[in-house]
Amino acid sequence: MAYRVMIVDDSPSMRAFVRRVIDLSGFQVDTCLNAGNGAQGLALLAQQAVDIILTDINMPEMNGEEFLRRLEEHDRYRAIPVVVISTDATENRMQRMIQLGAKGYLSKPFSPEALRGELERVLGVSHD
Amino acid sequence: MYWGYHMTDTVVAESLAAAAADVLETMFFSSVIGEAPVRATPSADAVAARLQFSGARSGAFALRLTEAAAQVIAANFLAEETDEPSKPQVQEVVCELTNMMCGSVLSRLDRGAHFDLGQPAVVDAAEVAQPEAVSRAFDIGEGEIAIFLSMDAQS
Repeated sequence: MAYRVMIVDDSPSMRAFVRRVIDLSGFQVDTCLNAGNGAQGLALLAQQAVDIILTDINMPEMNGEEFLRRLEEHDRYRAIPVVVISTDATENRMQRMIQLGAKGYLSKPFSPEALRGELERVLGVSHD
Repeated sequence: MYWGYHMTDTVVAESLAAAAADVLETMFFSSVIGEAPVRATPSADAVAARLQFSGARSGAFALRLTEAAAQVIAANFLAEETDEPSKPQVQEVVCELTNMMCGSVLSRLDRGAHFDLGQPAVVDAAEVAQPEAVSRAFDIGEGEIAIFLSMDAQS
């Protein structure tokens, strides 16, 4: 099965890198939407459904924490699993993002295998 | 300088080295070959970025790369196969590297602590070598990368 993915990060090079690592991992992508911050992510979601969201935390205009709050407030978006990808590997930050609604958390640096594992874990699938 | 009552500069320096090796290999497909001297005067074409952090401790984290090292790291990260990365692309990737390495260092120093990392910005390469900073420099084959971590005094 191929999934519809949204990558939210203010760095175009990081978005491209994450997409490349997803491809390298073998995770099947149907469509991939790119957003530069949470506000852009919400605007895209209003137009197109996705199966999973990967988001950074530190972004201008609407950061990852506010993005998660907005998703949780929205009946239609609440069920979309969100994986936070961040440089912050502290337990404190991970717990805060999970409390806000994130289903997964991946700290940079990460390997293709780790990314695929986290995507499949939150989607509840296995790759046999 | 001490991170805390039990954290010496040696421990901080070891964390810089571990974070550099991990981040460079996993995300930038580069390897630390060996130690390099932290040069007092950078080359004219060096690329540097710095960010401020706050939380359990506040301070600044900076990287300074020789132009060759910055070019290779940017090309690896962007997977450029034909053209060399442009200067803005190189600067963006160096900022990303700064962000990732700072996060990796701080979490190694205190995984249970809370930190907020500011946005990394390109700065004058001659300004990053603060005398109070703990610093390490590494040879990555194509060039050198120097790391500087300075922390504000605890109140």
